[in-house]
Amino acid sequence: MARKIVVDPVTRIEGHLRIEATLDEGGKIKDAMSTGTMWRGIEVILKGRDPRDAWAFCERICGVCTTVHALASVRAVEKALGIRVPQNADVIRNIMFLTQMVHDHVVHFYHLHALDWVDIVSALKADPAATEALAKKVTPNWPKSSEGYFRDIQNKLKKFVESGQLGLFQNAYWGHPAYKLPAEANLMAVSHYLEALAWQKELVKIHTVFGGKNPHPNYLVGGMASALNMDGDNAVNVERLNLVKQKIQEAFAIVEDMYLPDLLAVASFYPEWASIGGGLGNYMVYGDLPQRGIEDTKNFLFPRGVILNKNLNEVLDVDPGEASQIQEEVAHSWYKYPDGKKSLHPWDGVTEPNYTGPKPPFKELDSSQAYSWLKSPRWKGNAMEVGPLARVLVGFASGKSEFKEVVNEALGRLKAPPEALFSTLGRTAARGLETKLCIHWLMQAYEHLVTNLKMGDSSTADTSLWEPSKWPAECKGYGFTEAPRGALCHWIHIKDAKIENYQAIVPSTWNASPRDGQGKPGAYESALLGTPMADPARPVELLRTIHSFDPCLACASHVFGPDGERLAEVVVR
Amino acid sequence: MTVGSAERAPVLVLGLGNTLLWDDGTGIRLLAMLEQEREWGAGVEFLDGGTQGLALLGAVESRAGLLVLDAVGSGVGGAVKRVDGDDLAALRAQRSTTAHEGNALELLEAAVLLGVAPKRTIVVGVSPVRLTTGIGLSDAVEAALPEAVAQAVSALMELTAPPSLP
Repeated sequence: MARKIVVDPVTRIEGHLRIEATLDEGGKIKDAMSTGTMWRGIEVILKGRDPRDAWAFCERICGVCTTVHALASVRAVEKALGIRVPQNADVIRNIMFLTQMVHDHVVHFYHLHALDWVDIVSALKADPAATEALAKKVTPNWPKSSEGYFRDIQNKLKKFVESGQLGLFQNAYWGHPAYKLPAEANLMAVSHYLEALAWQKELVKIHTVFGGKNPHPNYLVGGMASALNMDGDNAVNVERLNLVKQKIQEAFAIVEDMYLPDLLAVASFYPEWASIGGGLGNYMVYGDLPQRGIEDTKNFLFPRGVILNKNLNEVLDVDPGEASQIQEEVAHSWYKYPDGKKSLHPWDGVTEPNYTGPKPPFKELDSSQAYSWLKSPRWKGNAMEVGPLARVLVGFASGKSEFKEVVNEALGRLKAPPEALFSTLGRTAARGLETKLCIHWLMQAYEHLVTNLKMGDSSTADTSLWEPSKWPAECKGYGFTEAPRGALCHWIHIKDAKIENYQAIVPSTWNASPRDGQGKPGAYESALLGTPMADPARPVELLRTIHSFDPCLACASHVFGPDGERLAEVVVR
Repeated sequence: MTVGSAERAPVLVLGLGNTLLWDDGTGIRLLAMLEQEREWGAGVEFLDGGTQGLALLGAVESRAGLLVLDAVGSGVGGAVKRVDGDDLAALRAQRSTTAHEGNALELLEAAVLLGVAPKRTIVVGVSPVRLTTGIGLSDAVEAALPEAVAQAVSALMELTAPPSLP
């Protein structure tokens, strides 16, 4: 009889995700089900409200990426009303976007994903002198690499382990045979874990400068609310701009001298993961980082496009406003559509919960029935993967030189062919590679803003269409962005100056999607197929692939049932 | 006292929770009520932390006192709870995986790990009743607010009291 693994909830992610996987005789995953176990409907909250206020509610959708939902929301309203924001607003939004991206990716690598590859407890066995030698080879430009430094870290770690306070490190499977790094590499990784932890709190200060406050920075329909005045006291002035520059420089060092060298070093110990976890092979990117306004999609730094069946010779176009392209199905979701409708474009989207699953707590779900609180979004009927790998592949396949450069360099260092990108390791590597691009773009955006200010352009908003009396009686818009986890879009329908309908498809809904009406699996479900499991009771391999997507179900869904307090549970049957 | 610490309030009041999920937003509501309760002066900073986790590390690091306002645990809906000292450490050791509760404890753990934990941390909150999508508070939690604010006031008084001389 086939063995089944249930991981519920998957830890080290935001929100609640349940994975059921069935193993074949050889211990490889032959079937997987991805279930969002909590329901949330932002549209329920937004209906009837003033569209200009929507961003402030949307900022609260997600526990991590407050800025990306605010950005998608103001863009949706601007699209509906035909507002063009001034250039400085785009530049500041790009700075906010890039800051979020760099922060999120570094935190994901060190604080959520690294524990899948790094055996923290094994670091206790490391020789600090040998660790120094290793660090000087792997991260030659990173200053903190002396024997004494590593010994201090080791002693600190020992204290935590002995006191039983593993805290942040507790949700992993220490000593598992799938961990391959030598003790010294593990100790180096622990040190960098702590350094990244101390650094990440500094970077978010950029959001405070331009957003007025953090963690919920101010956005504005029509532009940005940041007052720019080089000589002012209460505006974004020279002093604050210098702080921003300093934080960008610190981030440069973290990304270039620590994150990327660590990433490539860890990857070199796990070459087999370049042929595991590929999944769908379909990738979708809405694109972002406008250089000449949001309508000029050809001038995005993150190019827009779709790749089907791993075909890097062709990049197809995607249009979130085209009803025939983006559709959501509910064949395997706990929702009801009216009049037997099978799929709906988000402008016509309906969120009517209809729970038909077993009464929780349940042992297993049935993949032939509804089994998730997530809908199944599809592009022209295809399940798609979104996120860093999709962005890097679309940039690469579009022939953009900066993408080709970072991809070819990494593949060269790892002596891997381009097909290696279609994998768990490829996904994790792509996140690092785009972080490298992002940190360069962040510095460019900063310099662009300073140049504009020196030229006397301090305009950040166009409020000429602020008053509802100037709006059409009825209009529709959509606002897209590329969140750290992938393509994000909000769709709005405005009627008589109020929100008539509002729908969001967040990145994790694409990636964690259940099967559709044709039985086609979502990105997680597909990526897990063929994954070998050394010890099903400690499913670190399954977590590697799921974590490589950086799941964030907090925005995709929320509280359901009485099981909110259950501790992490892994069941093997 | 160094120049640096003079610029930053020694005590932080941190409201946590999601205001789109009924009682999950209790901490944010308490934050606003506590701030208006009296003139707290420059020694206390109030911050709406939403459901953020590690990104709040800079806000809590090295404070003399931290008061966290939050929806706390399950138990009887509407019960006011205060957790501090050893109880907080015990809670950290057996933390749950509820999205933002995990975040608050993770945040404290990260501060401990880096050696920048606040000298003293107190959590005051109310047991939630309703955690589905929607804005507002359930009747039971609403009724518990005056008691929760009173507890928060006394906790904050303790955190801001000048240290007794040896």
